[in-house]
Amino acid sequence: MGDLTQKLVAQIQHAYATKTALNIQAGNTKTSLGRHTSGEVIDVSEHAGVLSYNPTELVITARAGTKIKHLTKLLAQTQQRLPFEPPSFGGEATIGGTVAANQSGPSRPWFGSVKDSLLGLGLINGYGQAMQFGGQVMKNVAGFDVTRLQCGAMGGLGLITEVSIKLLPAFKLSRTLTFEMTAQTALDAMQHWSNLSLPITAMCHCKNTGQGLLYVRLQGGTSGVEDAQALLGGELLLPEQATIFWQALNEGTLIPRQDHQTLWRWSGASDAPIDRVPNTCMINWAGAQRWALEDTSNTLSQDLEQSICQYQGGNRLGEVNAGVSAPQKALQQRIKHAFDPHSILNAGRVYSWM
Amino acid sequence: MPALSSSPINPTASASESTMTTKNVALLIHELQQLLPVTSVILSTESQRPFECDGLAVYQQLPLITVIPETVDHVQAILRLCHLYQVPLVPRGAGTGLCAGAMPHAQGVLLVMTKLNNILHINPNTATATVQPGVRNLALTEAVQDLGLYYAPDPSSQIACTIGGNVAENSGGVHCLKYGLTVNNVLQIKLITIDGQLMTLGGEGLDEPGMDLLSLFIGSEGLLGVVVEVKVKLLPKATRVQVLMAAYDSVTAAGDAVAALIGQGIIPAGLEMMDHLAINAAEEFVKVGYPIEAQALLICELDGTDAQVEEQLAVVSECFKEHGATRIRIAKDSEEAQALWQGRKAAFPAVGRISPDYYCMDGTIPRGKVGYVLTRIQELAQNYGLRVANVFHAGDGNLHPLILFDASIDGQLEQAELLGGDILTLCVDVGGTITGEHGVGLEKMPQMPYQFADAELAQFRRLKEAFDSDCLLNPGKGIPTLKYCQEYRSLQNG
Repeated sequence: MGDLTQKLVAQIQHAYATKTALNIQAGNTKTSLGRHTSGEVIDVSEHAGVLSYNPTELVITARAGTKIKHLTKLLAQTQQRLPFEPPSFGGEATIGGTVAANQSGPSRPWFGSVKDSLLGLGLINGYGQAMQFGGQVMKNVAGFDVTRLQCGAMGGLGLITEVSIKLLPAFKLSRTLTFEMTAQTALDAMQHWSNLSLPITAMCHCKNTGQGLLYVRLQGGTSGVEDAQALLGGELLLPEQATIFWQALNEGTLIPRQDHQTLWRWSGASDAPIDRVPNTCMINWAGAQRWALEDTSNTLSQDLEQSICQYQGGNRLGEVNAGVSAPQKALQQRIKHAFDPHSILNAGRVYSWM
Repeated sequence: MPALSSSPINPTASASESTMTTKNVALLIHELQQLLPVTSVILSTESQRPFECDGLAVYQQLPLITVIPETVDHVQAILRLCHLYQVPLVPRGAGTGLCAGAMPHAQGVLLVMTKLNNILHINPNTATATVQPGVRNLALTEAVQDLGLYYAPDPSSQIACTIGGNVAENSGGVHCLKYGLTVNNVLQIKLITIDGQLMTLGGEGLDEPGMDLLSLFIGSEGLLGVVVEVKVKLLPKATRVQVLMAAYDSVTAAGDAVAALIGQGIIPAGLEMMDHLAINAAEEFVKVGYPIEAQALLICELDGTDAQVEEQLAVVSECFKEHGATRIRIAKDSEEAQALWQGRKAAFPAVGRISPDYYCMDGTIPRGKVGYVLTRIQELAQNYGLRVANVFHAGDGNLHPLILFDASIDGQLEQAELLGGDILTLCVDVGGTITGEHGVGLEKMPQMPYQFADAELAQFRRLKEAFDSDCLLNPGKGIPTLKYCQEYRSLQNG
């Protein structure tokens, strides 16, 4: 644990000079996401530690290799939390990887994604230049938003060295209600409840048993949560069961995938019809995220529709994300070149052509 | 007018060398006239006069040509022509911006987007709306209010400013403390690139694979493309809104109260501060019963369900008291709440009544530094022999110091500008930024090399070139050129 910035800069400068492909790695929890690529590992895991945390500012700055579980624990001591509820993938996920892979949890529709809480970051580009963008303040519109641009770039535009994140107060009370209902009924209910001013922080329907269960999580002040519970009804889940459920959902272990299967993830309009994604087995984010498990031999893999991604399994050497228009593809390639002219940083992780 | 004087300063600051020949100009005008309705191509000086500046009227420049397209096809064709003839293009919404970001280019086309003003689609199921860029911010909220919804970003200019302009500047407002800036409330945009291609960023869903181009584009000040369609997120209106006011006998005490409140886990919908000069100017103007002896006033808005608001109100009142509030007033009804807000909303024009001219700054600082920075600003102001009133978004540390001056007195405008520059560098020194919501535009160019290192500025330029390799879109704004930076550094070192 410590400041490895100079070492990382030197490694990237060397790779730039020798045009050596690098594979940025810290907790190594996201190899199953994105495309499989080769490259020399550049290890960020030891570049860890909290750089500043002042609870009254609701901001934390940490080195990229800092583990999510450490941040969560530290923040809990002062009754604060990471708004985007990132998965910790067995405790090994780091904040840098979380930002790069744009990983936000079940509360996404209500508390936003990584970008909504990200205030600034340190970045080493493909020339090996260490730079700072954004900052630690709540509002900052000076210069282009290079900070948020990194969300989802999977390290292809630079190695993230540190991040500053806006925090939120912890919830006073958390309750999870379950409702036995079909996916269609659940979709209608989720939509209806989303548009009421209720302290809902997660809604997910799983086809685990019978017609399936809708899980609704209420979090906030005591009276707000109790009033909403009285209004919605349902079965109250025991707190420890609820914790296990939401964590499993967040870490992707709710849907057990076999080796011959591909897990598909769809992200689209929450009011899309139930048959928009064939063989949906789970609906999360109040309808805006849907999951399907298929045999890898299934034709869906040849038909990458917009909004669908081959989340885990299947052929990871071909494209796993839906394509973009020709002008946008060319633009993304130019942006990649603007940050990483020799294409040495995590090339090909998102698309084969990036 | 929330601006300085009428005398232009450095009007050619953004005019880069143009290679356009007289023949090209004639051809461009001819083609634009073929393309657009006759009233949409404005060439005369008198008719272009209203477009020579934005809300920061001290920077003025007449464009070569002003065009007012009516369709997306028009916009696409105009950009293609500018690309073909290599003519600079400056996009403009309602012209309410405060950083001269929409100041025209002397050899360029000014693209006025206000006629693309249709609300295309409202989806109550997903609480989203799709609008053209010329739709006014407040018109959108008004169009969805019967559905119990509203659009959260609410800049002070919301009556007039357009959604397209909001996207260009990443506009905030009083309620962005809790509900975020434009970047947190836009789901998808369609834009036209400088070579006339239509591109969609963002999607129907809540995330997209790959780099976040949507976030990059928002706040890019018209340097990367022209937005022609915006899909925004709408929020359900809270069942209860409660406003309260707290008076303090020092800005430091009020600043500490703000930091303590946030630290206790309360995020109000809005949390604003006014200092003594602003309180008095506002009270004299709108007479809503502000305590004129107070050195600082906090206006706090809480929203949510009845239960949530009651719970928070108790904590907030207690916190304000603990930090030395000399008076707390809780609005009894919506009329009183409106009155408390009215003074805050009228603060800028109120300050305009006590001074011939004023200059509005826009730095953001860490919340905990509010007391120190406000005190330091008063010291700086005294050195320049000027007065500064402060009206700002205390909850997120976004300051709006209003520098009072009289442009008719020789040299005062320049003094005001120098003080403004000192205030912005002070914001950077305490860990903040030179602009929280107004943008860099032409105005804050001198402070960009202070906030950013050369490698970072060079990265910005390479990014700009990825979108606009000929630098035709809003040239001279937002990102300083290499030459500019070199001059800046040699001045600092010399």
